[in-house]
Amino acid sequence: MTTPPASTPAGTPTALVVAEPEPAPRRRRTARTSVVVSWVMPAATVLLMAYFSVATSNFLTFDNLAAVLTQNAAVFIVAAAAAMLLMAGYADLSVGSMMALAGVSAGLAFTHHGVVAGLVVGLLVGLAVGTLNGVLIGVLEMSPIVVTLGGLAAWRALAQYLAPDSVFGFPDAVGDFAIGRFLGLTWIAWIAIVVCVVAVAVMALLPLGRHIQAIGVNARAAFLVGIRVKGTILALYAVVGLAVGLAALLQVARLDSAPSGTLGVGFEVTVLTAVLLGGIPFTGGRGSMWRVLVGVWLIAVLKNGLTLLNYGPEVAGMVTGAVLVVAAALEAVAVAARRRG
Amino acid sequence: MADVPGEPARSGLTIANLHKSYDENRVLKGIDLVFGFGEVHALLGANGAGKSTLLGCLSGAVHPDRADIRIGERSYDGFTPRRAFDAGIAIIYQHFQLIGPLSVADNIFLGRELRRPGGTVDRRRQEREAGEVLAELGLDLDPRAPVGGLSVGAQQMVEIARAVRLDPRVLILDEPTAALGAHEVAALLALVRRLATRGIAVVYVTHLLGEVLEVADRATVLRDGRVHWTRPRSELTLAGLVEGISPDAATDRERKRAALGSDVVLRLDGACSGFTGPLDLDVRAGEVVGVFGLLGSGRTDLLESLAGVRSLRGGAVRIDDTPVRLGSPRAAQRSGVALVPSDRKAQALFGTMTAVENMLMPHLGRLAGRRTALRSRRREHDVFARMVDTVDLVPPRAAQPADGFSGGNAQKIAVARWTCGLGSPRLLLLDEPTQGVDIGARHDLYALVRSWAADAGAAVLFSTSDPEEVLALADRVVVLVEGRVTHVGPADLEESALVALAQPAVTERSVAS
Repeated sequence: MTTPPASTPAGTPTALVVAEPEPAPRRRRTARTSVVVSWVMPAATVLLMAYFSVATSNFLTFDNLAAVLTQNAAVFIVAAAAAMLLMAGYADLSVGSMMALAGVSAGLAFTHHGVVAGLVVGLLVGLAVGTLNGVLIGVLEMSPIVVTLGGLAAWRALAQYLAPDSVFGFPDAVGDFAIGRFLGLTWIAWIAIVVCVVAVAVMALLPLGRHIQAIGVNARAAFLVGIRVKGTILALYAVVGLAVGLAALLQVARLDSAPSGTLGVGFEVTVLTAVLLGGIPFTGGRGSMWRVLVGVWLIAVLKNGLTLLNYGPEVAGMVTGAVLVVAAALEAVAVAARRRG
Repeated sequence: MADVPGEPARSGLTIANLHKSYDENRVLKGIDLVFGFGEVHALLGANGAGKSTLLGCLSGAVHPDRADIRIGERSYDGFTPRRAFDAGIAIIYQHFQLIGPLSVADNIFLGRELRRPGGTVDRRRQEREAGEVLAELGLDLDPRAPVGGLSVGAQQMVEIARAVRLDPRVLILDEPTAALGAHEVAALLALVRRLATRGIAVVYVTHLLGEVLEVADRATVLRDGRVHWTRPRSELTLAGLVEGISPDAATDRERKRAALGSDVVLRLDGACSGFTGPLDLDVRAGEVVGVFGLLGSGRTDLLESLAGVRSLRGGAVRIDDTPVRLGSPRAAQRSGVALVPSDRKAQALFGTMTAVENMLMPHLGRLAGRRTALRSRRREHDVFARMVDTVDLVPPRAAQPADGFSGGNAQKIAVARWTCGLGSPRLLLLDEPTQGVDIGARHDLYALVRSWAADAGAAVLFSTSDPEEVLALADRVVVLVEGRVTHVGPADLEESALVALAQPAVTERSVAS
């Protein structure tokens, strides 16, 4: 006889295992970047600068803003490279420790073998470590988190092993370069600007930019249309390493020393914060290079302005963290609103 | 059995006037259907008939535009997954949702663990009750065995046991035997019958018509978003089912032209993919060959092996009389072989990127400036505009993200990627080229593929489980059954003959049950 079951289950939300729909291919947002990230973040940067201009007497001066650019040149350079990497859906947590290793190696070479040796060693150490990351992650398909977290611990330890104390006593040319200027800006600032322009151009104008984004959006489809996915990931990690090597040289020159214990500490957090503020999610595929650079500038200006207002670095840290979370929250709200709408 | 087969069941899941459209595309155009308690009701239909959308409406994954759904006394206008569950609807998908390392009992109680007063999980009671459920279903499985170590058939049984423990009133099985061996299928069909005798309305979705004849009390065929017919067991025949699922495809058949070149473009010599073969086949310039087979026949495996996604197990592949290297999709493309995968979202398209980027992704380097290597938006848009006209892309917007196109138009973008005249593939592989594509766009795609093959003097190999598609698009057909090539010949058979060729040993299964 047809006997309908005595009772239907009084289901709880966690009990949906049976009735849940087939795991559909991951849904991606329709728009390429959210409205919030497109406009709110640059607008917030402008408003913030306007506020500091009014609230302090010396924020909106050429010298101050040029100094901000010089102080943050390393962040700009590494963030530009890391943004390309994250656009493909891969992260590097080891950039701070890589910077210590490259900086200390370069410092030792500067002190003992001269300027050219220092430059070559700094760049090569960065490139070598980045390439190692690329081989492990891109080719051998190891977890980017595991590999670069390992690097975060290991490379600084190696730097401290090489030079337990700060390395100094560089040739004069190093210090002269750090304060040298061209058209009012330091050479260091100019180098950062050139790197940023190149990065924007690669992403916007070269086929490679679309290939990198395609990997972040759908790595499987990228592989199937013939994009060299493994090779691209390998190259991107190598580029990040090279960028870290360059950034380390600029930092070491600026400080005229290479402190193995403190050089680049927390650098990975600053870089990732800027990249995420630029609207590139951890899964890659969205966001844009120029917004990342605006993100770097926002954090830089925030620290500078708060310093001018006599707040300590701990306040800048808190505010930076809050800005990131607020930006993410705004985006989450905007996305939820669009889903309903 | 309280319900007389053939008469509408008095009580059960009643669907009336169910409509669902995606933008312009009307997928379900007023479904009226009753799944009676205590009956096994087979739900059939060709790709694009609306089956999966209907299942989506019942599972809560899709919300109908309009519907009057009743289960027993209660009525609904649609479901969320939670409401579908509360209403007593359970769905078992082709892809299992089991956690491999956990035991059978742990999986059955996953998310609804039995607890002791302190809140800890009462494993012993779970194992005892799981054992009772399994025994009730006549399943000889150890509740403590890890699910990952079980056969595919046994895992399917665990899925069902998990659903049945919650006393569903409606149980929907979506292609439940797709991955099963013959004796496992017999056991599953016997279980399905027992579930029906418990008073559950069992909805059985399948392409395997032998199973329908064996297990169904009634069968409903969907065609073009409507119920084509519902018939009781006594009126079901293989020929009747085939005719119902695939109406005459004469219009497309007439469009075919036998304008084949004499050159052999593709030559397969004993080609074996991981799961299929060996296959000997010559495909001439302008010729379109269909690989016809049901789920599990290995048709995707064969195409992916030719596209460099998987490796060939043996045999030789020649393009234009030159042996080719197929080590990766990239290498295959350099040898002149391009693939349009079946799963557009997961494998073909870059959802958030624009239509023009999606169409031209493999060609951006070719279109870039010779000296500068910079992308040329002008050349990209020229090609795109030409292809928009050729394939009748709607909307014709270059900047629209791929996510924003209907299935048919998204597929046009994926196909146009290789028919746009760039990269000059010699062999185009299309895996299920019209899955989830509405009828109108289907004709456009057939015309596009055929005229491209003729104009480029290239070869096309496509896979499908839809006999109508074979007759509409192919000059010749290769039939695959569980990896074996059972037939190669001109695509001028009757559909029923084609379907019969693709059925894996129906009689053997009947005997086994």
